[in-house]
Amino acid sequence: MLLLALSDAHIPERAIDLPQKFKKLIGVPNKIQQVVLLGNCTKSHSFLKFVNQISSNVVIVRGEFDTKSVASTKNSREEIPLSTIIKQGDFTVGCCNGYTIVPKSDPLSLLTLARQLDVDIVLWGGTHNVEAYTLEGKFFINPGTCTGAFSTDWPQSQDPEPETEKSDADKAEASVTAANATANVTATATQTGASESDSEDEDENEGKSIPSFCLLDIQGSTCTLYIYTLADNEVKVDKVVYTKS
Amino acid sequence: MSYAETIDQAIANCKQQTVLMQRCLAQEKLMDALKHASIMLTELRSPLLSPKQYYELYISIYDSLSILSNYFVECHSKKHHLADLYELVQYAGNILPRLYLMITVGSAYLQSADAPREEIFKDMIEMCKGIQNPIRGLFLRYYLSQRTKQFFQAEDSETKKANVNFIITNFIEMNKLWVRLQHQGPLREREQRTRERKELKILIGANLMRLSQIAEADFKLYKDEILPLILEQVINCRDVVSQEYLLDVICQIFPGEFHLGTLAELLATSLKLNPTVPINKVVLTLVERLNGFIDRQENPDLDSVTRGLAFVDIGEENKNLFFMFWKFLNQLSEERPDLSLQELAPVIQGILKLTLRWYPDNVSNVNVLFNFMHEKCKEYGKALPEEYDFLFHDLLLAPELKSDTSFFLRLLTECEAYEGLLSAQNSNLQRECANEILDTLTGAEWRISSKPELEKILKLCGSLVESNSDKMSSSLILDEEDDLDSENWSFSPDQEKLAHITHLCDNKSIESHCELLLTCRNWFQKSGKNIKYHSPAIICNLWKLIRKCQLRINRKPEIREKLNGTMKQLFKHVSLIINDIYNACGGGCLDLLYKLNVQTASLADQAQLGDIAYDFFSQAFTIFEESLSDSRTQFQAIVNMAQTLQKTRSLYMDSHYETLITRCTLHGSKLLKKQDQCRAVYTCSHLWWATEISPLGEEEGVTESFFREGKRVLECLQRSLRVADSVMDNVQSCELMVEILDRCCYYYIHGDEASTHVGIKYINGLIELIKTNLDGLKLEVTSMIEDGPKLKTDCAYIGIDGCYIHRNSANSVAAVYTKPPASKTTLLNFIPVEHFNRTLKYIRDQKDVDDRFKAIVL
Repeated sequence: MLLLALSDAHIPERAIDLPQKFKKLIGVPNKIQQVVLLGNCTKSHSFLKFVNQISSNVVIVRGEFDTKSVASTKNSREEIPLSTIIKQGDFTVGCCNGYTIVPKSDPLSLLTLARQLDVDIVLWGGTHNVEAYTLEGKFFINPGTCTGAFSTDWPQSQDPEPETEKSDADKAEASVTAANATANVTATATQTGASESDSEDEDENEGKSIPSFCLLDIQGSTCTLYIYTLADNEVKVDKVVYTKS
Repeated sequence: MSYAETIDQAIANCKQQTVLMQRCLAQEKLMDALKHASIMLTELRSPLLSPKQYYELYISIYDSLSILSNYFVECHSKKHHLADLYELVQYAGNILPRLYLMITVGSAYLQSADAPREEIFKDMIEMCKGIQNPIRGLFLRYYLSQRTKQFFQAEDSETKKANVNFIITNFIEMNKLWVRLQHQGPLREREQRTRERKELKILIGANLMRLSQIAEADFKLYKDEILPLILEQVINCRDVVSQEYLLDVICQIFPGEFHLGTLAELLATSLKLNPTVPINKVVLTLVERLNGFIDRQENPDLDSVTRGLAFVDIGEENKNLFFMFWKFLNQLSEERPDLSLQELAPVIQGILKLTLRWYPDNVSNVNVLFNFMHEKCKEYGKALPEEYDFLFHDLLLAPELKSDTSFFLRLLTECEAYEGLLSAQNSNLQRECANEILDTLTGAEWRISSKPELEKILKLCGSLVESNSDKMSSSLILDEEDDLDSENWSFSPDQEKLAHITHLCDNKSIESHCELLLTCRNWFQKSGKNIKYHSPAIICNLWKLIRKCQLRINRKPEIREKLNGTMKQLFKHVSLIINDIYNACGGGCLDLLYKLNVQTASLADQAQLGDIAYDFFSQAFTIFEESLSDSRTQFQAIVNMAQTLQKTRSLYMDSHYETLITRCTLHGSKLLKKQDQCRAVYTCSHLWWATEISPLGEEEGVTESFFREGKRVLECLQRSLRVADSVMDNVQSCELMVEILDRCCYYYIHGDEASTHVGIKYINGLIELIKTNLDGLKLEVTSMIEDGPKLKTDCAYIGIDGCYIHRNSANSVAAVYTKPPASKTTLLNFIPVEHFNRTLKYIRDQKDVDDRFKAIVL
């Protein structure tokens, strides 16, 4: 089955619409079985309409700019949860915008969340930066912002040296790599290439994140992640395979 | 002689007589053959046939007469002279067969070189006057025209002229007969007759077709000899069907360049038509032909077109097509005050199409047209009825206007009358148009870079801005109750589009860009409560400008002073707009205001403007303290604040940072619900434990200067544990302790007891405490374990904010409850037990990679 993860659209306060090229890719009815909106996606009538037409099975978690509730078809008004769990194939997937996770987007904090919710995959958002890695045998995916909306986080391009690896909490990192080596799990794909090119002409790209979204193809115990990014008006696709150990 | 009663019988008679005639011709009995032909022709006298049936019969007879005609031609001079035959057939008994035979013989005679051509022509057309019955006359003349068409291929102009005269004479007579057909018979059959007439129109049109073949490329002949006579007939006949049809045929049949040369005449004629003729149709056909003419040019620039037209003598005054149509329009409105807006609008639309095709860059032409229409609307006096909406919609948003976006944008910004005409419409239509205009703008990714341009667009969207601010329209997102504290976020698509305008503003200069945004702000003020929809968008764009300044400083540190000034100004604008929302919406969107303040603060912090950051943070606290009342809203707000504060770097001066984090933690510890207090406080422990921000080049283990106070971290954890212990609900209480244990693991990984103060003793103690507390729960659990299989399908968890998440294998998506679901109480007991087991397993796994973990006793 195909699961589409969109996050941080921020329409209309930070972006006008999804990029046309994305719309063409995902705007096909009956192809995608489930859509997860990972926060800040509920303020545009037309966006929600578009998403509903991709699949009627839409899961929403609350971002910091979402209101407490949104109208749904089942219930006239449904409260949007901060976190929820989805079961697909052999996987349980935890979804959370992460605006209440401290420190923000910290891998160890996310790992704690994964443990609390007992999930294999964590989908989170809020950073406007696409990311995917495995830690302790769990798979962490942040689809970035689907519209390229402005983020008030520290700008990526400030670092003179490009970040090659998502390194946090040194010791944990060591254990991660060890765990990964034994479990034979692929882990890559942070948005490094993009942030390098950014620093070239910041003045043009300032405040614009790179639009991206993720598509998860879940078949039994295998999850194939496709990461779509739009750089220089070209859609790039990366593929990461994660198998449940 | 008589005629058959039905069409079938008539045709059967015809066939029979034809066979007989052919037999006679084979035996060379000419007189008998003529007799049979004459009997056959008598059928055409039948008054019982409908025009359609008559036409059928005519076709059949035409074929038979062709046989006869061929025979005449073959035998001419050999057996009999056609001049004699021409005399002979004059003696046929009845006039109609006589004339048909005469034309047959005459046309055969014309094929021989020695025939007195002109005399025969003249005689034939004179004799046709003998038939005044409309249908019979029409067909007889049609027969004449069909039989003679082969003789019109003359080269010299004199003969051409004579031919043209002959055809026109015939045409005029036919048209008269055609018009007369309308006035025959009883009045109640009028409509039926009109229908029948339309079936016969091709007979008349054939003449014009023939004329166009003769005229070919001879414009002079067309202009001097053909068109004036036809138009005269068109005007004189005063018949609706005829006028509509003939003008249409003229437009269609003659080449476009001819129309260019005779536009004045054509337009003048259309003014003199019967008032019931739909004049817009005439104009539209003409415009289509003229536009088609351009389309057909290989190189469609106007110069080459004019050059191509050189052979057509167009007077200087006729060169500006638009001017001619404009003159026509004025005459039309003067002479035909009876024309309704409904009839006038399509005419304008036609002329619009023309000017867009011929003068694609000319905004003033369009302006003139829209102005004209606007005047007409004013003359109309009352509010325009709804059924006119589509007319004006088609006019204001004609596909031809929108197809060239850059022209459309010029039109919006330069054309005064556009706005005028739009404002004359009813508010629904105005809104609809404004919506479409905005869609076009965003679709074209147009950038608004100047203030006048922006103001123009905003003016056009005035209907959206001023739309009733109390009424929200949305089907998808419902309003919360009219509770002042709840947020009213039903996004109406209209307001969403207005917010897009702010994203279209763009200018290289930060100051000018900011001015554009402030212009938007001023306009949106009029929309009352609705500003909460667009103001966040303005703020976001101000944020972008701030970020722009910040990045410029990084590249050119020498202009820091100046840019810092600009940034401070921008922050002031942000603050101003946040206040606008507060003033307009009151308590309606406090959470939004809170978050806007928090995020602005973090931007200020990144720009190293600690004081400003402090101000925005304290503003957020003020909102929190004074207005945020809902406990769940408070919880997520305070945790979000902690997340943001944890990432700040510029607040350390003047101990701003400590003031803020202490306050944040204090608020956390004072939340209404104990479980919220507990979670908020252990989360706030991170405020005393800064972690790396990789874009700043910080790195765990390398960077020395992190703000870290392990003692306070431990204090927070201890405090939250105390709260957890005092929670009455056993499940929540145990779960909270496991969550605190998770935090302890976090700090344990981060450093030794010396720095984090979270040591082995504390962790082991906590594990013991949890075990003891869980024993109580486990008792209940074991008593339920008999229902084992059922438990596998249902699982429950507690989410990051203390919500209960219930996952059922039947559904892929879990259900989330804020209160413990009553029916699942036994299931709930498993939550902390299993969470604890997972954490213990994690610690066990850590022992393999980190020796320090071995000290933890499980």
